Amino acid sequence: MQPANRTSESTPASGEKAAAQAQRRQGMLLASPGALYLLIFFVAPLALISVYSFATRTSTGRTSLSGWNVESYRAIGDDVIVGIIGRSAWLATLTTALCLAVGYPFAYYLATRPRHVRAILLVLVMIPFWTNGLVRVFAIRFLLGSNGPASALSENLGFGTFRILFTPTAVTIGMVYSFLTFMVLPLYVSLERMDWSLTEAARDLYASGSKAFWKVTLPLTKSGIVAGSVLVFVPSFGSYVVPDILGGAKTLLIGSYIARQFRDARNYPLGAALSVLLIVAMLVAVALNQRSGSGAEGGDRPRRRRRGRARAEPEPAAVS
Amino acid sequence: MTGAVAAVEIDGVTKRFGEVVAVDNVDLAIDDGEFFALLGPSGCGKTTTLRMIAGLDLPTEGSLRIFGEEVGMAPPDLRPVNTVFQAYALFPHMTVRQNIEFGLRMRRVKDPELSQRVAEATGMVRLSGMEDRRPDQLSGGQQQRVALARALVNQPKVLLLDEPLGALDLKLRQEMQQELKALQRTVGITFVFVTHDQEEALAMSERIGVMSEGRLLQVGTPREIYERPASRFVADFIGRTNLLEATVESAGTVRLANGARIEAETSLPAGSEVSVSLRPERARLHPRGTADAEGSSLEGEVRDITYLGHAVVYEVAVGPMSVEVRVEGETGRPFGSGDDVTISWDHGAAAVVAD
Repeated sequence: MQPANRTSESTPASGEKAAAQAQRRQGMLLASPGALYLLIFFVAPLALISVYSFATRTSTGRTSLSGWNVESYRAIGDDVIVGIIGRSAWLATLTTALCLAVGYPFAYYLATRPRHVRAILLVLVMIPFWTNGLVRVFAIRFLLGSNGPASALSENLGFGTFRILFTPTAVTIGMVYSFLTFMVLPLYVSLERMDWSLTEAARDLYASGSKAFWKVTLPLTKSGIVAGSVLVFVPSFGSYVVPDILGGAKTLLIGSYIARQFRDARNYPLGAALSVLLIVAMLVAVALNQRSGSGAEGGDRPRRRRRGRARAEPEPAAVS
Repeated sequence: MTGAVAAVEIDGVTKRFGEVVAVDNVDLAIDDGEFFALLGPSGCGKTTTLRMIAGLDLPTEGSLRIFGEEVGMAPPDLRPVNTVFQAYALFPHMTVRQNIEFGLRMRRVKDPELSQRVAEATGMVRLSGMEDRRPDQLSGGQQQRVALARALVNQPKVLLLDEPLGALDLKLRQEMQQELKALQRTVGITFVFVTHDQEEALAMSERIGVMSEGRLLQVGTPREIYERPASRFVADFIGRTNLLEATVESAGTVRLANGARIEAETSLPAGSEVSVSLRPERARLHPRGTADAEGSSLEGEVRDITYLGHAVVYEVAVGPMSVEVRVEGETGRPFGSGDDVTISWDHGAAAVVAD
């Protein structure tokens, strides 16, 4: 018994190490197809864009890969471009705010339904999400067009024809519609995790219904609000399809402007520099989201339900 | 207490959730300053009753008064009661202090009164020095005390406690039982607490209301409930007991299923089917033929013995029935399996309960 014991005492350390190593190797093997895919189709183009952003546009519209400079970044300071960025940021902010205003009550409603109803409603929310985005935007274009049903309704009610298509309003409507799901889902998740006995406690402690909401429910669903806002803000800031189809040429946004640099203006370095700027801005937004999500304020971390009877939780002696 | 206004008066209150009747026509008056327990198995309607007093559920029928004021349909924020929730329901995004002062802030109590009352409440539950911690940095017992302070700081007229000790382990639970009792004596507020633990109810409360399937079966002091259960359910739910099927013969005698006639007080008419509740520790065991003449007795045969150290539990076969006898501090020769014995008990030790 004794010698056997001794050998088994010495092996665990090295055995454990070997097992950990094997596990790591196995993990890498499993991850490699995905990693390879990302490397080819994500990392490589991204690197290419970064490189191009420091290149020079020749007078003939070609891109010279020599004579590295930061001219393109300097060009971003141009009034026209700053205006476009400003307008895009404003539209993205507006879209986010509207999505939040529409999405929060909706997610609240969803999360407070009985479980089986919730499942059905959630599928209904997801269905448009599974439909081709382009088709949906064209549908909106038809709805909002001067020959569409919205216009017909307005005319019948005596408000005259409806001229909304190709205006910023149409773009905003389209963006809110396109990105609402991104807001509703994170909000739903954090509201669904909400411990409603906390709002009951607030009511019991003399808070009115609305006070209980502002003091308890809202702060505890903050991480859902932040996540949803980032998920809406980021794609709407760089969005290209919706403004293009619903806004026509009138509202030039950064997404369309970048596309134009590559397609028509053949100014690859400027397009690349703007793309890099957009990516960096998004990374910052995502990082901020991560921070607030894991920070001390992240109230709606999955709460341990304290209902088990047999929880041995010794009280620190220092207290009593 | 007669003449004084009841702290809580529940009058014919029924609560239905769809088809389910959670609370069925309950009448109950809880006195001012009383430590009252609502006791029953899970799903008996005790928590719903408590929630109706708090205003978290509204009664379907009936009237509910707190110190004479009708509050049945009032929202929780307009009732002079506070609740200690089952899982405490402490606000996780607030510190201990913010949790405790929540109710005062909602009622716009300002400094210096605010800080003074918070400090008082914090000291009362011995949490001074922990004001800036968050609930998840506290142990279960400390969280429990924050919940108590958060409710008591508002000086409610009635404090409601929903299984307040349910989440604590045994040792801590016993400590908190004493602490809660002491606290109630100090503040003098009416405590209404809900529990499914009969020992806890017996140990802590001045009066107990036993509930089952939405009905309030019996209200009484712990002694009354234990010694004089009003029904078979109460006798069985509170402590261990032998329930012997019997028929009433006259006001003073009943006939057991095995034909034995025993003395027991009952007001039920002759011929009623009843049970005789005999607590295992109230019965005595003798070798056959040596029982004292006083009281009642049954003859049987020891079938099973369980040794518990401080006590021995004998299972005695009496005809088709089985009677449990608990002998504490056993003296003399212990009985063995198969011994012929006589079970005896004092007059009044057995209670006749309706089925």
